[in-house]
Amino acid sequence: MGMPITYTEQELVAALKERNNQAFAFLYDHYAGALYSIIRQIITDNSELAGDVLQEVFINIWRKIESYDQTKGRLFTWMLNIARNASIDTLRSKSYQNSQKNQELPENVYKGASNQTTQQNVDNIGLKKVLEKLKPEHRVLVELAYFKGYTHEEIAGMMTIPLGTVKTRIRNALLQLREYLK
Amino acid sequence: MNLKEYIASGIIESYVMGLAGDSERAEFEQMCVQYPELVEERRRFEESLEAYASEQAVRPPMEVKAKFLKAIITMENSKSPRSIGLLRFVAAAAVILLVGMVVLYYQVSQQNKDLTNTNKSLGDRLNQAEVALDKVTQEISGPSTTVVNMVGTKIAPKASANVYWDSASSHVYLLVKNMPELPSNEQYQLWALIDNKQKNLGVFDAKDKNIILQMDSTRKAQAFAITIEKKGGSPHPTLDSLQSIGKTQLTQ
Repeated sequence: MGMPITYTEQELVAALKERNNQAFAFLYDHYAGALYSIIRQIITDNSELAGDVLQEVFINIWRKIESYDQTKGRLFTWMLNIARNASIDTLRSKSYQNSQKNQELPENVYKGASNQTTQQNVDNIGLKKVLEKLKPEHRVLVELAYFKGYTHEEIAGMMTIPLGTVKTRIRNALLQLREYLK
Repeated sequence: MNLKEYIASGIIESYVMGLAGDSERAEFEQMCVQYPELVEERRRFEESLEAYASEQAVRPPMEVKAKFLKAIITMENSKSPRSIGLLRFVAAAAVILLVGMVVLYYQVSQQNKDLTNTNKSLGDRLNQAEVALDKVTQEISGPSTTVVNMVGTKIAPKASANVYWDSASSHVYLLVKNMPELPSNEQYQLWALIDNKQKNLGVFDAKDKNIILQMDSTRKAQAFAITIEKKGGSPHPTLDSLQSIGKTQLTQ
């Protein structure tokens, strides 16, 4: 494949905005694993579907690269959010819901929160691994908000906790998460 | 609000991880414009998140990369250049078609105009001809008109013509019935015979049969004669070539 190409983030973004295929190949080689990881943390039970979502995510990156604004955050942050949103959309799609008929999502979450052993192998990657270090009542909220895509209002209704409490707990959980990431 | 408190509220993590609400996001972006330290804090969290995510990377299915690269090549080819090319082609074709139609319209309307003009002038000429014919018909059938039957001479036994002479108006009309065609350097000439003198009434060709020609007028005539003369006529008839002669009834 010739000489390895390296880019600074500035150069990479500029090349991506020019729709340079080589830059997209580089982007894939460097970030597909990290993005696939977050997809697998959301779509936990279907690696084929997760692969399709990964492809969709990169195509979306190609399509939307013009709208990426460096002043609002790093390229990876932007891509991570695209991957997370695409995964949650897939999770909520009718076809996925139909394939999951027998399982109620919130119940699943409770199980996940109280009984880690069942899905340990698949679940125990990425941010979810860090979540284990949080207190259970915090962990559930981050799980619902970040990995299932529920709004704070929905969570408050679901858990019968005041909205302000949901917000504070999630913020505190994220601050703790930050400490673990350091 | 105190910046330290703001940072300690968890807003940075909430924003970066996509969990902040719309108004929180807008406020945070506004704060970032004002406070470079906030941007710096955000960057640090983003970097640690990225580093951790990379550390925790999971190898994706092998075929996804090839599918993705194939898809962007397809999208690239089908997107801008070709569609603009097609658009240009369609636009150019439309312009050519429009110009073609304008030219065609112009030509057709011009032809139409020409035809209308031709039609009108033909109509005018037909009207004039009808008026003239009416006049001639009236005149030759009028009470003062003498019909002179010109008969062939020995050298031209078949030559025949009628002269209509209106003594009131002096008009002379010649109906050519059967006169042999002449070489191009010769013409027929009509004469009026008045008191043994010959008066020139004009020359004519006989290319068409059964046509009426208006000749020069004459007040008097005892007889009419037709001779063959050189083209343009002669001051005196060449009597050797006398083709046809007819006497008026009046003088007979």
